[in-house]
Amino acid sequence: MAELSVDLGFLTLKNPVITASGTFGYGEEFLPFFNLDILGALVLKGIFKKPRPGNPPPRLYETPAGLLNSIGLAGPGSKKLQEIILRLSAKTSTPIIVNVCGEDDKEFGEVAETFSAMNEVAMLELNISCPNVKKGGACPAQDKKHTFRLVRQVRKKISKPLIVKLSPNAADIVAVALAAEEAGADAISLVNTFLGLAVDLEKRKPVFANTFAGLSGPAIKPLALKLVWEVCRQVRIPVIGIGGITSGRDVLDYVLVGASAVQIGTVNFYEPAAAVRIIGEIEVEMDKLKIKDLSEIRGKLRA
Amino acid sequence: MQDERGRIVEARSLSGNYYLLKITAPQIAAQAKPGNFVMVRVSSSLDPLLRRPFGILQSRPPHIWLYYQVRGRGTRLLSELGSGDGLDILGPLGNTFPELPGKKVLLIAGGRGIVPLFHHAQVHAAHQPLLLLYGGRSAAELHLLQEIQTMPLLQSYIFSEDGSIGQKGLLTSGLEKIIAEQRPQATLSCGPEAMLARLAQMFKPKKTENYASLEALMGCGFGVCHSCAVKVVDNSYRRVCDEGPVFPLEEIRWPS
Repeated sequence: MAELSVDLGFLTLKNPVITASGTFGYGEEFLPFFNLDILGALVLKGIFKKPRPGNPPPRLYETPAGLLNSIGLAGPGSKKLQEIILRLSAKTSTPIIVNVCGEDDKEFGEVAETFSAMNEVAMLELNISCPNVKKGGACPAQDKKHTFRLVRQVRKKISKPLIVKLSPNAADIVAVALAAEEAGADAISLVNTFLGLAVDLEKRKPVFANTFAGLSGPAIKPLALKLVWEVCRQVRIPVIGIGGITSGRDVLDYVLVGASAVQIGTVNFYEPAAAVRIIGEIEVEMDKLKIKDLSEIRGKLRA
Repeated sequence: MQDERGRIVEARSLSGNYYLLKITAPQIAAQAKPGNFVMVRVSSSLDPLLRRPFGILQSRPPHIWLYYQVRGRGTRLLSELGSGDGLDILGPLGNTFPELPGKKVLLIAGGRGIVPLFHHAQVHAAHQPLLLLYGGRSAAELHLLQEIQTMPLLQSYIFSEDGSIGQKGLLTSGLEKIIAEQRPQATLSCGPEAMLARLAQMFKPKKTENYASLEALMGCGFGVCHSCAVKVVDNSYRRVCDEGPVFPLEEIRWPS
């Protein structure tokens, strides 16, 4: 029997599969499809202090094996999310990760403090990389100095383990990862969506009101895998790989380049019970490849 | 709600690029209510990636029927499938039309907007008198006419833009007269956005209780991705998939 558990240092996950923020709602939506206890962990949809309506439609544009989204972090605000977490934690023992957002550094700190104080929350993921908040896609994770400042400020305020979610749209993602590590991040997750553009040829205008939108899905996997590999070679803290995972083999690919765990995202939209299938496939693949423990292949890419 | 492996029993090609699918999906068929929809994976490959939403035309366990027009790549791929092919179907999804017992109800269906209203009529026309206004481009696009005319307690008014059947013109052109004659207490509608926006205008000031079923571009169909947002009068958004697809007509901020 293959050993799927993952020791992040500050928390042990029963398997490396975490559901990604923004693709798994508030967890409850998936209860009709499977028992959430099977997940390594789950990340809730990103949260700001106050309720947010999100961006004007259209918010979605399908691309070959992928999709562009410009949802704009629609959400109920942190007060309401606390109630949801209390409800959810009564229904699952899987570690709950809160994806913390902010319009500015102050708000990031306030939201992080709120959820760090909740016993039901296992860790926080600092979402400094959403491309759909500011026009043009700008985010703190594009700048290593801003990342350092923001992560350090949040780190000082909270006791919970802190994951920092990075953007593939930074000029030097390794430098940003190192800045997050130096500022006290316990883990790095990458990547958030790639900035993309869709145009309406008839109207001669961008499809999205924000001009750019975030690309996700199987189409981005090779791009994401490269960045995860580059970051894994430079940082010492655990790395959570994200980008286009749809199978157990995809998960093992990320582990091979050095990821401790992974997040699955877009696949949850079209296959609600994808996590169950993927976790099953990891075991089958490991047996086939005679891997007893994920640590045997972690970071062992020969290149 | 479940993700069920269905199987196509019959795929019928109709005029105007329309298709009628009969699918074996016992669990979804047992739960489906008028107004509900399903999300269908039209390909087993990763391209196209997302499922497509389809209203449920009727449900007679273990079967459901879908009626759709080929509009893009997803519907074209679906139209290439035939009897015996398997399909991943998620559903039933969304809310339903209110039942409105004892009320005189007018159903207003534009084109393929007939789907949820046909389902509603089929379930309720056995015990409640209903009026139906059904309009389309031409006789060749009003495929469900024959079935509709066999429903007991259903009185129908037919419109075609080219005059090939029924009264000539958009169904909204004949609406005022029908309302004046019949004095319905409620309307249930589904059709192109322009038609629904026109209805919202015509029903001001409000004399009837009005509900509309909306169409939207959807990512997931079960409330998670927030792609299918529609703006409501207080300028906030609702998810068509999860909070709809049926909304009070007046609640939606229609384009002017």
